[in-house]
Amino acid sequence: MNISPEKSTWFLFVQGDLNVFSSLFKGYYPILHNYGLKISENVSLTEDCLQDFFLYLYENRENLGEVNNVKSYLFVSFRRAIFKKLKKERIFTDFEEDFEFSKNFEFSPEEIAIQKEFSSLQKNTIAFILNDLSVREKEVVYLKYYSNLKTNDVSEVMGISYQSVLNTLQKAFVKLRAAAEKELIEAVLKN
Amino acid sequence: MKETSDPFLEKLLNDSSFQNWAKNNNKNDVAFWNSWIKHNPDKLEIVFTAKSIVVGISFDQKLANKDHVNDKLNAVLNEIHLKNSKNSKTPPKKSNLKVYAIVSFLALALLAITFVFKALSANHINYKTGYGETLNLKLSDGTLVVLNGNSEISYEKYNPRDVSLKGEAYFKVKPIYSTHAKFWVNTPDLKVEVHGTQFNVSSRKNKTDVILDEGSIKLLLKNGENKQMMPGEFVSYSDEKITHQKINKAIKYSSWREGTYIFNNTPLVEVMKYVEDTYGFSSEFKDPKIKELIISGGIPNENLNICLSAIQKSSGIDIIIEEDKLLISLTNNH
Repeated sequence: MNISPEKSTWFLFVQGDLNVFSSLFKGYYPILHNYGLKISENVSLTEDCLQDFFLYLYENRENLGEVNNVKSYLFVSFRRAIFKKLKKERIFTDFEEDFEFSKNFEFSPEEIAIQKEFSSLQKNTIAFILNDLSVREKEVVYLKYYSNLKTNDVSEVMGISYQSVLNTLQKAFVKLRAAAEKELIEAVLKN
Repeated sequence: MKETSDPFLEKLLNDSSFQNWAKNNNKNDVAFWNSWIKHNPDKLEIVFTAKSIVVGISFDQKLANKDHVNDKLNAVLNEIHLKNSKNSKTPPKKSNLKVYAIVSFLALALLAITFVFKALSANHINYKTGYGETLNLKLSDGTLVVLNGNSEISYEKYNPRDVSLKGEAYFKVKPIYSTHAKFWVNTPDLKVEVHGTQFNVSSRKNKTDVILDEGSIKLLLKNGENKQMMPGEFVSYSDEKITHQKINKAIKYSSWREGTYIFNNTPLVEVMKYVEDTYGFSSEFKDPKIKELIISGGIPNENLNICLSAIQKSSGIDIIIEEDKLLISLTNNH
């Protein structure tokens, strides 16, 4: 039998250990905070929602069912919680569908780090290409590379198939690679 | 979205040897895939798309800062305590004036004593942590220090940039550009000389380990030698012996600051050494074979019991606490 430290941490959390609860909170609050902001673009709504979310987790810890992967579990349930809140605030009437057409999940050039793979591209260009994707597609890129979720976990969090996640990634990178090549050719021609 | 992703792309992405090639991790895999690509020029496009997916895009994470997170955590903890006390059935105890009087008298006396003590030792500043406790400090020059468990840091009030350390601490030194004022950390084995940078110093059992995250520092060793360090390097110095190496990026040496130790294929005996240093136990292995058990993953370090139970569960061993000893044996049902 091999029980991961992650599982034993979760086990202790379910037992009601406030030290473990605090560690989980400190570990996941910052990344969920950022995720919430990307979805809602609303600081106070995100923070209220996170507060309620962690309180809910603690109070209902014995009824959460089996949790195999803490990170993707927290992302799935927080995503659900924030959509519920947005619906309640009537920002979206049919939240998931309207979300498709909203302008959220924008990447700013300042968020883009120096790239190993697309060193020839300006941060502005990378942000521009990513922002050209649909909201759902941007969320895939965000969860995979910003939150560092595995491909399986991205599909679980967003409730879409593994294949759709791969398609999205392929689409995004084909575009980025084409832009990078164009940039390189132009640089060569200039010289 | 269509459900037709290229099965070959999927195959590449799930192939660990391909991942190694994309990340330039393993010489054999790199050689294999380079020659494979030469022989399969028609797959060039998909191979490089797959490579981009593996390498990915890196982001500069803009995350909520620690103070903000702690404030929010305290708010949630307060609410939990409030609800717990409402739910508890026991009626509140009647106040007992006499007890209160004694308690408050004692508290006042204690306060007075600490005050006098502080006034006397006002020029010498000293912080000490107990086993399993970590402390966040901001020195008067703006330098941030995280003091690990069972550790002690001290300095003279007029000079917060010359500190002495016993145990382990992480430093984020505030650079002072106008004067280029240096910052020193003294341990029994060596002296670390810095401008502005981030690094970890651990000084236990006649040995000092230094890990540099950012910037550059100089070590003035007890044997009179100097050593310049570059970011990502690790130096260990004891009894005039020195090891200087580039560290494996996958292992986060300074991870104890986050409330978790991260171990990456670390033998149990090493893991226990860390626990011994932080909590002040000595460990005893019932069977020397147990020492070689391999542990990977995060072990919470904020509390001894959580820490031990995480180790027990991740390695299939039993740990019994006997006075100041940890007795380690294999779990019976193995």
